[in-house]
Amino acid sequence: MPVKLLLQLSWRNLWRHRRRNTILLVAIAIAVSGVLLLNSMLRGMQVNMQETVIDNLTGHVKVLQPGYLDDPSIAHGFEVARDWDLEIDPDAVVGWTSRIRVPAVIMSERETRGVQLIGVDPARESISFLDDIVIDGEALGSPEDRRVLVGAALAEQLQTKVGRRLVLITQGADGRNREAGYRIAGVYRAEVAGLEKAFVFTGAETLKNMLDTLVVTEVSVRLVDDRFEPGILATMVDAFTGLDVLSWRDLEPQAAMIAEFMDTAVFIYFLVIMSALVFGLVNTLVTAVMERVRELGMLRALGMRPRSVVAQVVVESSLVMAVGVAGGVLIAAGVFALVADGIDLTAFDESLQSFGVRPQFTPVMQAGDVILVVVLSLVLGLLASFYPARRAVKLRPLDALRR
Amino acid sequence: MPNPVVTCRDVSRVYEGDGVPVHALRGVDFELEAGEWVSVAGPSGSGKSTLLHVIGGLDQPTEGTVTVDNVEVTALSEAQLSDLRLHKIGFVFQAYNLIPVLSALENVEFIMQLQGVAGGERRQRAIDALDALGLADLADRRPGEMSGGQQQRVAIARAIVTNPVLLLADEPSANLDTATTEELLDVLRRLNRERGVTILTATHDPMVMSYTTRQVNLRDGHVVAP
Ligand SMILES: Nc1ncnc2c1ncn2[C@@H]1O[C@H](COP(=O)(O)OP(=O)(O)OP(=O)(O)O)[C@@H](O)[C@H]1O
Ligand SMILES: [Mg+2]
Repeated sequence: MPVKLLLQLSWRNLWRHRRRNTILLVAIAIAVSGVLLLNSMLRGMQVNMQETVIDNLTGHVKVLQPGYLDDPSIAHGFEVARDWDLEIDPDAVVGWTSRIRVPAVIMSERETRGVQLIGVDPARESISFLDDIVIDGEALGSPEDRRVLVGAALAEQLQTKVGRRLVLITQGADGRNREAGYRIAGVYRAEVAGLEKAFVFTGAETLKNMLDTLVVTEVSVRLVDDRFEPGILATMVDAFTGLDVLSWRDLEPQAAMIAEFMDTAVFIYFLVIMSALVFGLVNTLVTAVMERVRELGMLRALGMRPRSVVAQVVVESSLVMAVGVAGGVLIAAGVFALVADGIDLTAFDESLQSFGVRPQFTPVMQAGDVILVVVLSLVLGLLASFYPARRAVKLRPLDALRR
Repeated sequence: MPNPVVTCRDVSRVYEGDGVPVHALRGVDFELEAGEWVSVAGPSGSGKSTLLHVIGGLDQPTEGTVTVDNVEVTALSEAQLSDLRLHKIGFVFQAYNLIPVLSALENVEFIMQLQGVAGGERRQRAIDALDALGLADLADRRPGEMSGGQQQRVAIARAIVTNPVLLLADEPSANLDTATTEELLDVLRRLNRERGVTILTATHDPMVMSYTTRQVNLRDGHVVAP
């Protein structure tokens, strides 16, 4: 049967039943756009969560002394050769830094708290959340800066503020306690309040001097994208023999698991919605085809082959499906454009914080997801229309004509 | 002497309806020569439609063989039957059975499109067929915009435009008034006489019988003497 004839007949038939087909089309468009938008929310959460984890001084790849995770003290530090540098491909790597991180006790005149004291090179911290925090007071100026940066939540607990002095106690390389006083350069606000209580920053060289050591406890690398991870892991393993080179997945297994679970969740959720849609679609198509059984029987009595009759029905439903899916993608793209800059979730701040999600939420639409939705919808739609079409031609033309 | 266009040998058709078998045809022997116009007559339920369906490859006999234009219909597959109907047989049904979304002209062209006849020739032949049936003015109308008689004539135009070896018409006049029936029969007579189209009609209508060249009587699935 000529394709032109097939299309012409299909088009006219669609037009004849335009009411039903419009409803069908709108239903498909709504379902597809719904899937895409909810999918972009889930993806947004996933990306957001991963970013948050990586921002929290984890980076994509981190080098540690093997014993450090069990006993995070200066005893498990290592030296980074002065002339070592990571050859940076700007398309793959955002940057790297070394830090010295030890447990410490922080004291104000009124309160005492346990924290992590972290010596940083401020210029290199563009790779972590330190890059975009709001600071009341001043940021650290250099690795030699002898002041500290504390979180707002901690400052409140300690009942102290910018310009005041604090005392920090920690264990030196020799195992003896060191104690030193620091002035507060600034009080920072992080998007996730937990960080404010945990992290106290000072200059890396300052901390090394205090601990009387040359070592650092971690080297952290931030990548442009997850997919460069295997390459960098290999580079780092070569550069730091005898040390642990870990990805953020190893360091934050829970977050990694959630991210992975989201991948599955997105897919399952998509299948569920699509199955519901296909179920409705098959029902509608069966009704539509059964209404036309006489007509289809007549086409066959005239000499149209069963295969052509099936093709006729399938082409008709595929056209509706294709237009519906295209409409759904357009709707989703339109709505997405409105919210792409981010949705303010401050109203739900507390409950989200417990998941480690930032209050500013940005949906993410990935090309791969859109393609998956479009292709699967079309394939499912095609399969869904085969069934009623086959049912229609299973009737002998005479029986069909008698209806 | 050329072979007959249609040969039925000992054709039986039994319907297994609700446990009680219905014998629609009981051992029918029947021949139709080229150029004949035969009407199959008989009371309701005598098996007229069944005979036409079996000959047209729309139904399979329970026993016996049917040959159309030297092809044994009873041995064909579903797809081969489709081709037989498409290329050798023209059907006119009681309910006109036009395609509702196509105009009169497109309905007539449709069959030729299935046959793969090229565009220009196809259109010309469709126009000629409509012309021959006095339908030139109605070419652009859809079935819903035509009277029963007009639709029936379009159905005939569609059935003959492919120059089939056999035209089967089941009660073509059942839904038409006397005047329209007469017009229709004149058309069929012209086709039969001038173009030599072989026609088989099933009918109770005495007016139709008066036009045909021969009559076959069916009673309870048997061919009987008039
Ligand atoms: N699909 C079917 N299932 C069961 N019985 C059938 C079927 N089709 C026809 N019959 C029976 O077969 C017999 C012959 O039917 P057929 O339609 O050939 O008669 P007919 O001569 O064309 O009658 P009419 O003049 O009313 O059209 C009838 O008794 C009819 O009830
Ligand atoms: Mg009948």
